[in-house]
Amino acid sequence: MAEEYLVVKDLHKSFKEQKAVDGVSFNIAKGEIFGLLGPNGAGKTTTIRMLSTVLEADSGEITIGGHSMRKESEAIRSLIGVCPQELALYEDLSALDNMVFFGRMAGLDGAQAKEQAMTNLKLMGLADRARGKVAKFSGGMKRRINLAIALMGNPRLLFLDEPTVGIDPQSRNHIYENIRGLQKNGMTILYTTHYMEEADRLCSRVAIMDGGQIISMDTPRKLKAQIGPPDQITLEDVFLKLTGRSLRD
Amino acid sequence: MKRALYITLNEVRLYLQDKGDLAFSLLLPIVTFALMYGAFGGQTLFTSTARIVDLDGGTQAARLVEQLDAVDGISIEMLTAADADSRLDRSDVQLVLIIPRGFTDTLMAGGDVTLLFKQRGNGGQEGQILASIVRSVAEEMNQEFQAVRQVQANLQGTGISDERIRLAVQNLLAKEREQPLVGVTEEVVGGSPDFITLYLPGIVTMYVLFALTMSAQVIVEERRRGTLERLLTTRLTAGELFFGKFMASTARGFVQTLILLGLAYAVFQFFTPLSFLQVLAITFLFAAAAAALGMIIASIARTQAAANWIGVVFTMFMVMLGGTFFEITKGSVLDTISKISINTYANEAMRTIVVDGGSLGDTGLSLVVMAGVIVVGLTVSRFLFRAVPGGK
Repeated sequence: MAEEYLVVKDLHKSFKEQKAVDGVSFNIAKGEIFGLLGPNGAGKTTTIRMLSTVLEADSGEITIGGHSMRKESEAIRSLIGVCPQELALYEDLSALDNMVFFGRMAGLDGAQAKEQAMTNLKLMGLADRARGKVAKFSGGMKRRINLAIALMGNPRLLFLDEPTVGIDPQSRNHIYENIRGLQKNGMTILYTTHYMEEADRLCSRVAIMDGGQIISMDTPRKLKAQIGPPDQITLEDVFLKLTGRSLRD
Repeated sequence: MKRALYITLNEVRLYLQDKGDLAFSLLLPIVTFALMYGAFGGQTLFTSTARIVDLDGGTQAARLVEQLDAVDGISIEMLTAADADSRLDRSDVQLVLIIPRGFTDTLMAGGDVTLLFKQRGNGGQEGQILASIVRSVAEEMNQEFQAVRQVQANLQGTGISDERIRLAVQNLLAKEREQPLVGVTEEVVGGSPDFITLYLPGIVTMYVLFALTMSAQVIVEERRRGTLERLLTTRLTAGELFFGKFMASTARGFVQTLILLGLAYAVFQFFTPLSFLQVLAITFLFAAAAAALGMIIASIARTQAAANWIGVVFTMFMVMLGGTFFEITKGSVLDTISKISINTYANEAMRTIVVDGGSLGDTGLSLVVMAGVIVVGLTVSRFLFRAVPGGK
């Protein structure tokens, strides 16, 4: 049995009267890509914010790499990398300056940060634009930089919150390939997306959230098998069946 | 601590990248200095307009006006009696010189005459100086008439006409005025001391307060970019983030003020090298205190507009109470209230150095207050950042 790298038990978070996360529990094995799916407002981003030490949970337990979130959040921050849903970049700086800065924040020294920045920029196909100002990059390039920054400091667990939103198929494909490459190197990944075929293609297991709760969790194939022959059913069919067709805010 | 320094360096790098912001913030002190220079630089001569009502209309009244007009810096405006009364009533003018009827005839007949100053209150500072100049011109005329009378008395019976004697004495005195035996000259060694006393420390402290508004925005700016949350998932602690931002804001406020003070040092020559360094030390401490107060605003503001407005209101409040625009009378109620403005302490410390020729040791209380504000500002801002919803 694979080592559980991330363990979440009965996680709760409310904003005033609104329950954003309501008793969420799941585990992610080391080296696994785990998909967290759900409609808007399902609680995915709030869950990631708690897992990445930004928000404090009202109750529940989070353990990452054997470290408890309550007692060792600093140790946890040295293990994680976060690629937020919105671009989080200094647009007035070059791609390299962005990477080096966040590398330093992740605990690298100057030379290490620069070396790793160049490696990650190469990985993202942006080595030749290292000195270019991010403000002048295309949307796809910015998304790739956003992901590359999350890799600075060699995190063991990566949170990817909709990393492919609004980019062309080429950039998206490039990001998929990189994510697979990272997994092969032993990185554990928590992935959220609205693109069901993306989750089907990348994730070994997925959890579908709605109303702050996990309403189903399994491998994509087993989830599909719940409603029909897996080869004829898509993950989107499963998603719509479980979460309904009504529009969300 | 290292990461706080990276935050500072990153902030400086971003500041240097924004060419518009950079140009504005570096040009602003130069423009401010140019305005200061235009208003106060090298201007040592008193200038004023003498308003005169000539009820006499004679030759001696004309001579008095002519002699006043010849004084450097004095220009003449002739008024009618009614116009003078009306302008005095409106406080349009503070002081008017009235040359009475019969002025010339009485003088020529050897009698005494009296000039009249019609004035509001004490005539104002400018009016008092003007009155003093008029008195000195009248005194010259008085001496001239006495000299003429004396010579006429001595030469009585010699057949020399009174008119010839008058012209001779007048010419002699005119020559004397051109080449006086006891002369007075002036050497300009710097700007007006009034300016140093009243305005320079106030302008500098007001300027440093811009650092407050700047630092009020630093966290909001990270939030707007989306980088705040990302930073808080790294090994960077919120304390390091705040300290890094605080150092960047301090440096920015200090550099701007350094330009302003450097120009004042070079052009006005207010300072000795030592007093200049001491004022810089005070300015640095004050910039840090202002930045620390700005960090409190930064910790609670959720939008750029909120950060701006709170910063501006805070700044204006401190500028008004700190005696930047007007002198605060010692022992007054306002003097007591002004103690809650950090500007007051910075102003006092700078005046101690610049005006009183004191040293940093003489500014102990002010320095302690500013250092205290830094510690309290950083502690409170860190606490509020944790306590206010949406913070860390």
